[in-house]
Amino acid sequence: MNTEQTQDVRAQQQEHGKPHIVRLRVQTPRGLWSVTEPPDATKRPEYPVSTKIEQVILDVRSVFKFVEQDSKYTLLRGDEVLEPQRTLASYKIDDGTLLVLSVQGGNA
Amino acid sequence: MTIAPEVSFETLKRELPAATDYVAAASVTLDDTSLTAHNLRLYVQLVNAHGEPFYVEFDFADYPLYPPTVEFVSKDHTERGTKRLYPQGFHPTPCICMRYNRKAYSERGGPHGDWRLLDWRLPTGNGVAIDTLSLMISDLHSKVRHSTGRMP
Repeated sequence: MNTEQTQDVRAQQQEHGKPHIVRLRVQTPRGLWSVTEPPDATKRPEYPVSTKIEQVILDVRSVFKFVEQDSKYTLLRGDEVLEPQRTLASYKIDDGTLLVLSVQGGNA
Repeated sequence: MTIAPEVSFETLKRELPAATDYVAAASVTLDDTSLTAHNLRLYVQLVNAHGEPFYVEFDFADYPLYPPTVEFVSKDHTERGTKRLYPQGFHPTPCICMRYNRKAYSERGGPHGDWRLLDWRLPTGNGVAIDTLSLMISDLHSKVRHSTGRMP
């Protein structure tokens, strides 16, 4: 399926009221989160494109038990920092996109 | 107290796959080509907010009993410990002032007399405990990415 066909499918889905879902991959310092990894994950990175970045950050933190509130968690696409209040759609994030959870420890 | 270099090397070999996956996804360069049981050093290249490169050396002698010694070095790895090799925002000693850096401890000449080397896996402040190579790289990646210049 080429890009135009993919866009047509999305448009048809949205016309029929079905949200367009993307399946992400998120690399963290503790491993990859995907539709198959880690095997015991309690949630999977499958989101309507209207989902905010902050929800993805919350979910991946939960899967990999990054519970500390005082660390800085940032979602990146390559070198690009994804703003927590924006949606996946606003970044035109497609199925299978690889994102990175950057984790910064506390300061001494 | 020390531990055999072969133990440090085996520990690192177990941690390297996760670190390799992370750096590949984060567009960070990891150079472990000279890593052996008798040369426990590896290097990471990071860029700041303006795309300026910085080079980090990890020396894993006595790891994981003690944390690595982590230092910004020159591109050819021959110069270390000078301010101009550090991004802005780090401790002016100069030092990467985190528990995962042996150089941060006062018993190794660093500013922290309130930390014990054996407790290096504890979190700094209330943040995540930085206790693996991939977490160390992530922490440095985040800090350098936000930096806009070199230490004066």
